[in-house]
Amino acid sequence: MTLETGMQELLMEFLKTLPINIIIIILSAALGLLFAVLLTFVRLKRIPVISQLADLYVSFARSVPGLILLFIAYFGIPKVLPLIGLGTYDISPMHAAIISMGFYHSGYISEVFRPAYLAVEKSQHEAADSLGYTPMQKFFRIILPQMVPVALPGYGNALVYLIHDTSLIFAIGIVDIMGTAELSIARSYGTNQILIYFIIALMFSAMCFTTDGLVRKLEKRVAIR
Amino acid sequence: MHISYNQKEVLKGINLSVEKGEVVSFIGPSGTGKTTLLKCINYLEKPQQGEIQIGDLHLNYQSLSKQDILKLRRKTAMVFQMFNIFKHKTVIQNVMDAQIAVQKKSKNEAYAMSLKQLENVGLKDKINEYPSRLSGGQLQRVGIARGLALEPELILFDEPTSALDPELVEEVLKVIEDVAKSGMTTLLVTHEMDFAKRISDKVVFMENGHIVEVGTPEQIFEKSVNVRTRQFLKKIYAEQDQQKLNIKGG
Repeated sequence: MTLETGMQELLMEFLKTLPINIIIIILSAALGLLFAVLLTFVRLKRIPVISQLADLYVSFARSVPGLILLFIAYFGIPKVLPLIGLGTYDISPMHAAIISMGFYHSGYISEVFRPAYLAVEKSQHEAADSLGYTPMQKFFRIILPQMVPVALPGYGNALVYLIHDTSLIFAIGIVDIMGTAELSIARSYGTNQILIYFIIALMFSAMCFTTDGLVRKLEKRVAIR
Repeated sequence: MHISYNQKEVLKGINLSVEKGEVVSFIGPSGTGKTTLLKCINYLEKPQQGEIQIGDLHLNYQSLSKQDILKLRRKTAMVFQMFNIFKHKTVIQNVMDAQIAVQKKSKNEAYAMSLKQLENVGLKDKINEYPSRLSGGQLQRVGIARGLALEPELILFDEPTSALDPELVEEVLKVIEDVAKSGMTTLLVTHEMDFAKRISDKVVFMENGHIVEVGTPEQIFEKSVNVRTRQFLKKIYAEQDQQKLNIKGG
């Protein structure tokens, strides 16, 4: 086997497992976004007890390393489900990864959305109120469009962190690009270690670069003139 | 219109009636509760108790439903000290949006109405500008057009010229005068004494959360027998004279 065909095979292997990372990134970003919107709403509403719980949740999600959340989800959920009467399930590593990454991400971006909401001046609320907008109309027509430009840079950062954190999911046995890398290094007894990590680094930076570009584009579109 | 309420800290037992089409100015020292009073009318400030009646709408502040609050706000319009123009919308969008959202007008109707109102305040050539490109005087005129476009029964001006550069005050006062003369019921909180004297049907002097005196401009500004009113006006005029001297001297 020549070096070139070996190289080609290796790249093919990586490209085959790349969709796993991408699926996990997209689904956990979606789950995180959904949950963060809910969290932020509850936290800003200042509902007794529920808001405090949401605050606690956010500081927990933000202070525990992603890898540990991953383990908690993967090993913990099968133990917790029977306790709350939902039967015994084993949770697939993919599900565990999406859930833990999604929730980790949600805590992070809730802390981006909350200040973005607070950054909209009280005067804008007063104006909309005085004109007779319902709270929903006020939020969607006046407040949200002014929140988005404030939140986007922080949100873009959070996405980049999420992408980085998917490099941990091979720890629960998912063969993603990191898993492929580890296997390939083991196969070659570590001789191509540096090269492979370098390829992985390039793949991660390509994903982050694309995300950054998209967020930048969006930033330009929603900027307040 | 009739407002009466009893709020312990800022406003203490205010009772006031305003006729349709009347122009009423509120004057008095800063921190007296003039703005709070105005904001109680559209429930931006929440009085602890009291009643309000605008036309056939009669409400008790202690038992307001969400619908009541909307009704109250949809009968009134407010012009703010800091303009409060929506930053992400162009001039015409600022004027159109509430007509579309609140009054369910079609885009075309809202556009026509907005154009008319903006023309009246002299901003026809600025309709597609964003607020960041306008002067304070222009922003305030957008605010007035935005309020009038909803055809309210009552318009509330909350110190509309206090945040303006001196040379921009006149253009806004002129627009307010037009509004007041159009027969719109107008409540105005202001520190522009000469203006209040000129346009008002009724002047209300407030101090420490109380209404001290209500009367025609002539009564309040020239013939007041109330010691507090006279002291306040004397101080205001002395300050104005001082400013004039400073300008001449400088």
